[in-house]
Amino acid sequence: MRKTKELAFSYGFLMPSLALTLVLGIYPIAWAMRYMFYDYKGYGKQTFIGLDNFARVMRDGEFWHAVSNTFVYAGGKLALSIPFALLLAVVLNRGLRGRQILRAVFFLPTIVSTAVMAVVFFAIFNAYNGVLNQFLLKYKLIGGAVDWLGADHAMMTVVLVSVWGAVGNYMLLFIAGLQNIPADVYESASLDGANKLQQFRYVTVPMLGPVMQMIVMLAIINALKGYESIMVLTDGGPIGKTNVMFLYVYKLFFPTAGTGAASQIQEIGYGSAVAFVTAIIVGLITLLYYFGSKRMNRYA
Amino acid sequence: MRLVWKAALWAFLLIAAFLTLFPILVTILGSFKTNAELTAGATILPSSWQLRNYAEAWRQAKFSTYTLNSLFVSAASTVGILLVSSMAAYVVDRMAFPGKRLYVGMQAFTMFVAIGAVVLRPQFELMIRLHLHDSLWGVVLILISAHASAFFILYSFMSGIPKELDEAALIDGCSRGRTFMRIVVPLLTPGLGVCALFAFRGAWNEYLLPFVFTLSKPELQTLTVGLASLKYGISAASQTHLMMAGACLSIVPMLAVYLFANKSFMQMTAGSLKG
Repeated sequence: MRKTKELAFSYGFLMPSLALTLVLGIYPIAWAMRYMFYDYKGYGKQTFIGLDNFARVMRDGEFWHAVSNTFVYAGGKLALSIPFALLLAVVLNRGLRGRQILRAVFFLPTIVSTAVMAVVFFAIFNAYNGVLNQFLLKYKLIGGAVDWLGADHAMMTVVLVSVWGAVGNYMLLFIAGLQNIPADVYESASLDGANKLQQFRYVTVPMLGPVMQMIVMLAIINALKGYESIMVLTDGGPIGKTNVMFLYVYKLFFPTAGTGAASQIQEIGYGSAVAFVTAIIVGLITLLYYFGSKRMNRYA
Repeated sequence: MRLVWKAALWAFLLIAAFLTLFPILVTILGSFKTNAELTAGATILPSSWQLRNYAEAWRQAKFSTYTLNSLFVSAASTVGILLVSSMAAYVVDRMAFPGKRLYVGMQAFTMFVAIGAVVLRPQFELMIRLHLHDSLWGVVLILISAHASAFFILYSFMSGIPKELDEAALIDGCSRGRTFMRIVVPLLTPGLGVCALFAFRGAWNEYLLPFVFTLSKPELQTLTVGLASLKYGISAASQTHLMMAGACLSIVPMLAVYLFANKSFMQMTAGSLKG
């Protein structure tokens, strides 16, 4: 009797969470996994077409262009934000006066909205009346207005904007990892005559290994997934130069939303298939990194 | 030599700090400039402080509506997330029941599997069927449904509260539900506090979800959505000052919270590494 009551209580308390997760978290994934086998444009008839959508993904040049853009974007973001975050973390880990304030400053970008900051960055990088060009022209650092969001520079600009938003987060994670390295390891290293640089190479790097592996993995997933800021800043343009794969998926589902003058039709079935392939790509890269870095750790 | 190193280090730190703060400063200072000064002036401080930008944004550009909508969505979803995930964390930590591991696995799954914007479409269809697409309750429910990280944070806090306390209450004849409300929740306050910060920040800054749900309903748009739509508008070039004022309305409240709670924000982020 008591047992039944306890069980009823447990399931009762779990119910709101369970129901919401099943209905709004799991069901939409199952929904997409059904439609990826269908030809469905959002209205009208739905036709089962087996694996045709996946054959189309393989032939879809625009999608693979977006995939290669994603790699450039994610690669640039990681190459800049991880070393920079590690450097800041090492400097602000201990000793330095004012480190608490500096940590708070560097972490600040993570608390403001990506979309709102993308609007602000648009006002900064905009070619015709952007804040950056105004100052560069005023002090004669450039000859004419530079189109930071034009075809030549747009990718660099969206990468820099994403780095701005990411560094503080990874800095903090690195600091947390550094705090777990016992101070006496450094003490004995310096007693043995190791200088700061050697301490970094032979104490910090190897002892940070596992934490580093986790942070980089998190950073990879985030870099591959992010598209909100690109969507507001450039909408994937100009001429698809900053189109990333998750933005491509988004546009198949919501073709008219946003700036896009694109009168493209909604592609529910095909979009689901593209989303599935995209998720697989992210999963594969994550796994590849996980096993690759595990080997590296062993030899570090 | 030591001095040179130190000077170089500080130069690096100050430049990095300046670059970090620059966009925020552009926003705050820009919100007090005229549109002409913003788009051509190349000034740092406003030459005259235009408080009317805020009045204009608040009234004409409907930022009063956006702010209220943002407040509602953020407050309602924060309360919901705390309630739903603390109840779940309580039974998962304290009770034995079949399916527990499956539930925990499912929460972890929703945290790691991301298929992008695809999920918005079935979510929207569901809300139409529930007649919730004409209000912000649909957005709120979807935000609440993404409570996996709050659940895991509270779960770890829960295991730090001694079981003996609620056992004593139970022996004294207190029901499970009352024990939860009277004994466990008060002790869980620190955990609930950081979860609230995170949930509120997430909802306040959320863009895509409210954007897709309010495409044809400007009166339901939140700050992020309303602001981005200014950028897309045809008169965008003449409204940069309004964009900056609107951006401030979104940023400044979060900055104020951050000023007092930055330790909690940073602790939690660092804590997620161990979890």
